[in-house]
Amino acid sequence: MNLWKEFTKGFIKENPVFIMALGLCPTLAVTSSVKNAIGMGLAATFVLTCSNMIISLIKNLIPDKIRIPCFIIVIASFVTIVDLVMNAYTPEIHKNLGLFIPLIVVNCIILGRAEAFASKNKLLPSLLDGLGMGLGFTLALVLIGSIREILGAGLWLGKEVMPDAYIENPMLVAILAPGAFIIMGLLMGLIKLVNKGK
Amino acid sequence: MNYFIKLGLVLLLITVIASGILAYVNGITADKIKANKVLAEQEARKKVLSAASRFEKHTKSLPAVKKEPNPLKNVEVTGDRQFVYYLGYDKDDQLAGYTFVASLYGYSSEVKTMVGVDLDMSISKIKVIEQAETPGLGANAATADFQNRFLGMDQEQLKVDKDGGAIKSLTGATITSRAVTNSIAEGMKNLKDAVNGEDK
Repeated sequence: MNLWKEFTKGFIKENPVFIMALGLCPTLAVTSSVKNAIGMGLAATFVLTCSNMIISLIKNLIPDKIRIPCFIIVIASFVTIVDLVMNAYTPEIHKNLGLFIPLIVVNCIILGRAEAFASKNKLLPSLLDGLGMGLGFTLALVLIGSIREILGAGLWLGKEVMPDAYIENPMLVAILAPGAFIIMGLLMGLIKLVNKGK
Repeated sequence: MNYFIKLGLVLLLITVIASGILAYVNGITADKIKANKVLAEQEARKKVLSAASRFEKHTKSLPAVKKEPNPLKNVEVTGDRQFVYYLGYDKDDQLAGYTFVASLYGYSSEVKTMVGVDLDMSISKIKVIEQAETPGLGANAATADFQNRFLGMDQEQLKVDKDGGAIKSLTGATITSRAVTNSIAEGMKNLKDAVNGEDK
């Protein structure tokens, strides 16, 4: 039961994007389409889960004073592995995400979970925490990405979902940078409102 | 004192392990990544010059451009540039056309375009292969609608309409349109020089 909680808390209750406001930079950058959002979300989930596991395994070996550089090395190594493997085996997705993958290193969700959770907990809870937080991040990205892609291009996952007349002249601002800020802000507010009502 | 040496050693150990793993992964993937790149370029060449089935790489060194020496770096920049183009041959090994990659900085990124040229020096087809322009505006340069505007154009016509040419630029993205058009125009000029030079 307790483990289940560690897994699911990242979805809504402690959603990294909407509640903890972590990792906003990649959130704003990649949500211009659902496809990018899914790719970025899953890549970050993989890195987060792996780095959480390794850090929880080696937490006793690392002196407290140098824990942050150690975490960064572990995280950066996994990011580089993801980058190389994606480039070799899924070049199409890599082409779209290429610019953002190195940015996972500085995604503060990953360092945040390493510091706040994995360095204090055992292997299994850390793994579930990483997986849950990563999927929560993916969920948030897909949600924002869907709204932006539907409003800004009339598409969802590249398929036409709005009438032709709308696609020809969509609400461009949604897919540009300001749209990311506006939509994310509105969603955060909405979720706060719902949580308060409970 | 000993404590600090221990800190350094732990950090050293972790970095050594990490770089060992990375070197291993790089070793497995490097060839594959290289092959992907070659394959992707090959595919793009076939797309812009469908008549050809085999390509042959040629290079021509361009006249050196005297660039301003960079005052910050104290290094003389010599404009030693090469123009790389491919001859495309069809099934019967007859010359079918040429391809080259045109590239110029657009609004927010380097825009690279694969260009296919017919024997009569008009454009057979173009394909934007790399860009990170504004989504919804400049990024539309990668759509078929924009790329079709180049079909059959020759070097003289290759200017955007604002500059008095025949290419209708994208709405709200003149800079991107201009980068694509001008890079292709320059490439066409180089290609003509290179091909004519070979005949002599």
